[in-house]
Amino acid sequence: MNVYQNVIIGTAVLATSIMLVFMLLVFRRYLSERADAKRDQIDRAITKSYLRRVAGYPYDNAKSWTKARRLSAIMRILPLLRGGERERLLQIVELDGVMGSILRRSHSLREAERVTAIRHLQRIRSEVCIGRLRELLARDPSPRVQLEAAFALAASESLPPPRETMRILGMLDRPPKRIDVALLRATAPHYREQMVLLLEGDLSRQWRAKIIDSLGWSGDMRVLPFLERSANDLDPEIRCAVLRASAKLNHPGAAELVLRALKDREDAVRIQAVNACATLGLKEATGTLLQMRHDEQLWVRLRVDQALRKLSTRSQEPAQLRAVG
Amino acid sequence: MNIETLKIVAADIILWIAFACFLVVALRNSISLLQLAIAGWVFSTRIEPSESARELWRRYADLALPVSVIAPAFNEELSIVQSVKALLALEHPDHEIIVVNDGSADSTLDVLIEAFDMEPADLPQLAELQKTRILGTYSSRRFANLLVVDKENGRKADAVNAGIGFARTPLICIIDADSIIETDGLLRASEPFMFDDGKLVAVGGAVRIANGCTIKGGALQKIGISKGMLPRFQVVEYLRAFLMARVAHAHTNTLMLISGAFGLFRRSTLIEVGGYRHDTVGEDLELVVRLHRHMREQNRDYQIAFVPDIVCWTEAPAELGGLDNQRGRWQQGAMETLQRHRRMIFNPRYGRIGMLAMPQIVLEDILGPPAELAGYLVLPAAALLGLLSPWMALAFFFVSVVFGCALSVGTLALEEKQLRRTPSARDLTKLGIAAVVENFGYRQINLWYRLGGIKRFFRNDTTWAAVPRVGLGNE
Repeated sequence: MNVYQNVIIGTAVLATSIMLVFMLLVFRRYLSERADAKRDQIDRAITKSYLRRVAGYPYDNAKSWTKARRLSAIMRILPLLRGGERERLLQIVELDGVMGSILRRSHSLREAERVTAIRHLQRIRSEVCIGRLRELLARDPSPRVQLEAAFALAASESLPPPRETMRILGMLDRPPKRIDVALLRATAPHYREQMVLLLEGDLSRQWRAKIIDSLGWSGDMRVLPFLERSANDLDPEIRCAVLRASAKLNHPGAAELVLRALKDREDAVRIQAVNACATLGLKEATGTLLQMRHDEQLWVRLRVDQALRKLSTRSQEPAQLRAVG
Repeated sequence: MNIETLKIVAADIILWIAFACFLVVALRNSISLLQLAIAGWVFSTRIEPSESARELWRRYADLALPVSVIAPAFNEELSIVQSVKALLALEHPDHEIIVVNDGSADSTLDVLIEAFDMEPADLPQLAELQKTRILGTYSSRRFANLLVVDKENGRKADAVNAGIGFARTPLICIIDADSIIETDGLLRASEPFMFDDGKLVAVGGAVRIANGCTIKGGALQKIGISKGMLPRFQVVEYLRAFLMARVAHAHTNTLMLISGAFGLFRRSTLIEVGGYRHDTVGEDLELVVRLHRHMREQNRDYQIAFVPDIVCWTEAPAELGGLDNQRGRWQQGAMETLQRHRRMIFNPRYGRIGMLAMPQIVLEDILGPPAELAGYLVLPAAALLGLLSPWMALAFFFVSVVFGCALSVGTLALEEKQLRRTPSARDLTKLGIAAVVENFGYRQINLWYRLGGIKRFFRNDTTWAAVPRVGLGNE
């Protein structure tokens, strides 16, 4: 056989294999479409059975119901149940071995499979699930899986203390990403004091700013004196973070430091201060903001216009603006 | 030199042409097969976007980078209101819409003013990238995130550049006026920026053909397959381009094209490079090549990403005339881009872009079309004249046509296995048939149209004719 005959045979084999795979997929889809009605019927029966079991009524439990179908029914029911009913359903999930299949999946060699398992664990949120999620966060070899586990724990408000989360995810070895800030913010309501302690340590200015920003999400007004102190930091990034946190806390006690920041020498800080004025609804800032319409920095002027519009909408008193503007 | 010698020289030339054609086509298809394998690997290992992961983004909406969606509009009075409503309804925590009326001759502007209660606004232009004059800017009394920029007629590139100048957000999404964005398409496309540490400069998204789909109120209601074969062929082509080639390119960090129908860019980088060029008909390809060049010449670490999920639907030409026009323009645009950035080709200074991606464009867009078309004529003729083995002519047929069928069907299989956006087994079968049939006629016609584009490039033809469309939902 010459080289061209080999090319012909090779191409023919490749094309035939691909065609066969495609035909199998079409056939699978055809069968799946034909079984749609039956599948819906089974899904309804499983859902009904679980709801009856939770309420303590007699129920059907066909052995032919696969764990995958049971799991999808449970995922549909779970968000509808609260308190004791939810607890009972979670017990049934464990008794039926459905939880076991999710836990096995969370040990899969394939990263995508483990992430799918994490998403199920997040939705169930039982103690076993939280435990397994913590284990994945701490010991999974894949950073992406660890991050997904952290997300799941954050959504369940069960993230470990910030120092641990940052160490496990290796946050301090790289510049902060938006996703890290989301995790820190999720931690803040539970670990305010630990976050303040973290700031006493040796952190880069970027990370300091992100942690200060997250303190705004703690919902705890006791951080205000700390923010007040940091408002005089030499680093403009820190001063910006203080203003974002103050705006988020939405406490009148922050008004003074925000008004002071309107006169900051750094335009980035002035922009954050202007935004904070709008968020806090600081009408007393209107005069300064009107003067800032002539700020030398274009971006400051743009934000001032936006803030004035917001404040005038809030106060329903645009007359003053019209008179001056 | 006698006749015999001439015959021998002619035979040698024919043989060399035949070998060259065979080699070019085989190389192109080998690269495509490699791309299919990479795309298969990417899809099989990818972590699908999940609803629960977005819970945190909803909770901390301010972490999502604000986006300005720039929609250039030219004579769109019939559809603009629905399109803008659909854009306003996009799922994103912080997005604004900038409609640029590109000197429409109809009442596009009046329709917008009336429908959205617009009033003249003295909006500052932060960067002046357009060549034409801005006639006015308008803001909406009802929608704080809607702006309209009225300008003299230029082309899409000029309209988009004008819009970029008025954008105040860190990200800019550039779309075509007739693009239909999936409700969560903007959110999905901007998600890579959440994981970014400052390197990401642009994100492309998969675009699919909307012919045959049910469109209501500027939004996609139901996915369908067109009755005509021409749009079906293009569905297969788009799947091959977006699910196979671009996924593979993005995975190897060599993505060279972000479709003009949908692209997300970092505003600061777009302004740095000066936005779109006005003197090319392939402005979307040229922009991405220029971004690569700019970043590499400045030794900056950067990334251009691609979201393989479908984010946008667009109308394909349903008639051959429109296809001729579109493909000729794409070809001409590619050649203009290659000519402008020719020093990048095989230049190690530009890394994998210079050594791999640019030569691949040369292979695909300069050598490929004429080589394949010539191969269809030269190889059978040479075999009939006894100049080369008939096995070689048959092998050429297998390498071009049979291999092409395999690649198209392979992409469909990938789509079915990973995305499953084709509505039914029946529709999948229709596309499967189109994937095979397109290699017998459509593929060759396309090559012919691309030769037309090469001719236009050499004639330096800068005229631009709109591709005629039947309108979505009017099939």
